[in-house]
Amino acid sequence: MPKVISTGTSTVSKLSRRSFMSGSVLAAATMPIITRSAKAEEPPSDGQDNARALAAVSMRVNRQSYNFALDNRTSLLDALRDHAGLTGTKKGCDHGQCGACTVLVDGRRVLSCLSFAVMNEGRDVTTIEGLAAADGSLHPMQQAFIDNDAFQCGYCTPGQIMSAIGCVNEGHAGSEDDIREYMSGNLCRCAAYPNIVAAIVQARDETRRS
Amino acid sequence: MNQAAPAPKENMGQPVPRIDARLKVTGQAGYSADLAAGNVAYAALATSTIAKGAIQALHLDRARAVPGVLDIVSIGDMDQIEKPKFGNTGASSIGPLHDKTVFHDGQIIALTIAESFEAAEEAAMLIEADYAQENPSASFDSQGTKIEPAAGKSPMYKEDAKVGDFDSAYASAEVKIDQKYSTPTQHHNPIELFSTTAWWQGDQLTVHEPSQNVTGWKIELARQLKIDPANVRIISPYVGGAFGSKGPMTARTAIVAVAARRVGRPVRCVVSRMQAFGTQTYRAETRHRIRIGAGKDGHITAFAHEGWEVTSRPDPYVVGGASATARMYNYGSVLTHVSLVRADRNTPGYMRSPPETPYVYALENAMDEMAVALGMDPIEFRRINEPQKEPIGGKPFSSRSLLKCYEQAARAFGWSRREARVGSMRDGDWLVGMGCATAIYPTAVAPCAARIRLTADGQVRVQCGSHEIGTGVRTVAGQMAAERLGVDLDKVSVEMGDSALPPAPVSGGSISTASVCSAVLKACDAVRQKLFAAAVGEGGPLAGSGNAKLDMAGEKIVADDGKSAALSDLFKTMQIGAIEEYAEFAPRGSSPEALKKLYAGESEFHGGDQDQDSVKYAFGAEFVEVRVNSHTREVRVPRLVGAFAAGRIMNTRTARSQLMGGMIWGIGQALHEATEIDQRHARYVNRDLQDYLVPVNADIKEVEVILVPEIDHEVNPAGVKGLGELGNVGTAAAVASAVYHATGKRIRDLPIRIEDLVT
Repeated sequence: MPKVISTGTSTVSKLSRRSFMSGSVLAAATMPIITRSAKAEEPPSDGQDNARALAAVSMRVNRQSYNFALDNRTSLLDALRDHAGLTGTKKGCDHGQCGACTVLVDGRRVLSCLSFAVMNEGRDVTTIEGLAAADGSLHPMQQAFIDNDAFQCGYCTPGQIMSAIGCVNEGHAGSEDDIREYMSGNLCRCAAYPNIVAAIVQARDETRRS
Repeated sequence: MNQAAPAPKENMGQPVPRIDARLKVTGQAGYSADLAAGNVAYAALATSTIAKGAIQALHLDRARAVPGVLDIVSIGDMDQIEKPKFGNTGASSIGPLHDKTVFHDGQIIALTIAESFEAAEEAAMLIEADYAQENPSASFDSQGTKIEPAAGKSPMYKEDAKVGDFDSAYASAEVKIDQKYSTPTQHHNPIELFSTTAWWQGDQLTVHEPSQNVTGWKIELARQLKIDPANVRIISPYVGGAFGSKGPMTARTAIVAVAARRVGRPVRCVVSRMQAFGTQTYRAETRHRIRIGAGKDGHITAFAHEGWEVTSRPDPYVVGGASATARMYNYGSVLTHVSLVRADRNTPGYMRSPPETPYVYALENAMDEMAVALGMDPIEFRRINEPQKEPIGGKPFSSRSLLKCYEQAARAFGWSRREARVGSMRDGDWLVGMGCATAIYPTAVAPCAARIRLTADGQVRVQCGSHEIGTGVRTVAGQMAAERLGVDLDKVSVEMGDSALPPAPVSGGSISTASVCSAVLKACDAVRQKLFAAAVGEGGPLAGSGNAKLDMAGEKIVADDGKSAALSDLFKTMQIGAIEEYAEFAPRGSSPEALKKLYAGESEFHGGDQDQDSVKYAFGAEFVEVRVNSHTREVRVPRLVGAFAAGRIMNTRTARSQLMGGMIWGIGQALHEATEIDQRHARYVNRDLQDYLVPVNADIKEVEVILVPEIDHEVNPAGVKGLGELGNVGTAAAVASAVYHATGKRIRDLPIRIEDLVT
């Protein structure tokens, strides 16, 4: 099942190479699954089991190509976490209610738990691991979150940062009230909200330019 | 400097950014379910659909037939292990797979293990049970509950506080109130889902699970599995929000460990948001009756606080906040009584300021009512009743800066602009109200161990089995080591969240900063003593400065006679590459077994109202402006100001963030959070983040936190009072007070919702 192959030529940073490596290790380590999954690919006797069938899905994640073989029911979130080894994207509810799983798909923010992986064929996905530059320098939004202490436990933070970049790029960061409104899909139980707003204000202009 | 990094005042540390900030903004901080564990199999829970009765048969065949299912652990499969225990380490004594009794809705009935998450979930949904069902008691007003006194049921609540003759004092009081208040069931809902990943290597068990108590869990899990604790390791390097929910271990941990042993590979169970409501703990719903009597001059002469709290049938969890409210003001006479109400529910547990959030809310709402009854300014009413000594035992407070907090918060808030008359402040369609309340939290500390290593190049490693749950404890522990050993913070690494590290107490009760920093301080001082002795000793680089006062700064030993020696030179003289010290800190007044208990996973708390010499609390004052729409009755909170004094502040940045987050939690308590219960089925209804409301970004505007300088050497060697649970204590009552001021409606039952204000 989790067969992760990079077909992309490596323009990748150290970070994404490491992600790729962990994906490969995962694939090797779960060999028995493929045996099981092959069974699942046989035509089901009652004709009702197609949801379980494996689908080939290709997408680019953080500038690198991934070819997955996934259960049709696998969410983009679980594909990233369990099959690509990119665990920076978090699961907080699996129902699209908390925002912790926010990623950018073709530049727009998407709740990856509400998106089947197969719906993202050919798309360009950016996760928190793909934001920093190859030399390790942070995206202005990441730096602003540090400067403004815009997190405590840090669990919702990847989703907040991805959502914040989406929010700015959509043109919804014009005022603090706008930021509050358009960031309200991302829950922060530690309640760093005023600091998150301050971080977005700080990084707004640089994010637009980047 | 920006708002997030307030300039330190007296007795406050630098607002350095969190030591793990970069990891957290790059997705590299590894939370439990992120950590690699090799060839993981996925597990899912099946839970009961009734709240009371017995399971007659479990139907597992359809689940077993799902392709990819490896195994199912269900009732009867845990017979070889011990049942969980209820207490500070264990959430409940219910062993859900040990017998067929159903104690509450959503109780675990089986665990499916499969090659994929999707298959495990599918299988769990196909499990059905036949039940012999009984009518459950859901809560206070249900038939069949059992009511009993709380005193003595928990080591944390030994007796009801009482002093003087309340009855006669109340009878003769000139002004009095007698009112009832209530708070609802609430669930912590940290954004990180609960999860357990377990695997065996021979007889060694490793568990990745978000935990506030890795040492306690190691011991308890080993007890349940009947294995040597030395063979159990709990790893929890980052915790995605805890708030008490990850303090006690739940039954799931041992079940997943058994599953991993059966399938012979790592098993990971990430619990769904919905299932967490029934398989984890929660804040018990409470009811209160408060009577206050005073003279016309505002001096309180009589105070009675009666509380009722829901708990489960088998476990006597006690909230017990009357012991705190009994010590807040100079009452004259005090009567308290707490009762437990046993219902067919899962066992409640600690949730951020467990006793204070409901009990102090009730008291402070009553104090505001009393001020209205007296026609007195609510701040003045509290000032008049400020005690010189704690009213129950007559002990002094180690420090009490409440009135300073009121002064500074009132000034920043602009309290003088408040027009006292109800409904008198209006801004267009919005009724404006202003209110205030006191925050209080006991200052406790517990035994803790830490190991410090300093190498010749000035690198410092701090090891301590505490837990980074978002408080910033890794950062402040690092700051303490950097300061004492005279190196920059970027040369310090801090390892936490692993039961293989020196043991630390449970990260609960706001004790971590005080306990961990006291242990780190002790270990650093041992390093210093060794280095100082070598430096001034024969052949040492500072030989001859034996009488000078020595310190460490800039990677040097610095003498006050002007001489100094670089660490690297001193290490050369000592012919060592590293120096390492292991320190065990036990607070003053610790029992002879305190440290032994630390290694056994038990945290011996000291402080609060338990010490002989003084009572130890942190205080704050919170001010709230609400706006209630005159047409829709929607309540908004545009402004919050809180001033808090909590001894030494290690880092003004992390302290401000915790207090701010706490105050926003208080907004949730006041206006949003309630787990609704289907009274017929004793079932939680709103088991997700769409219907369990928590504050979102758009609910919050201006929040100002004022750190009031305070020095208290009595509380612990670090001089630190915990503040992680202080911020949310006063907010809800301040909101209720402000809503009254805006509308004339006194809302006593939380949360305050539009429907309460419509008529």
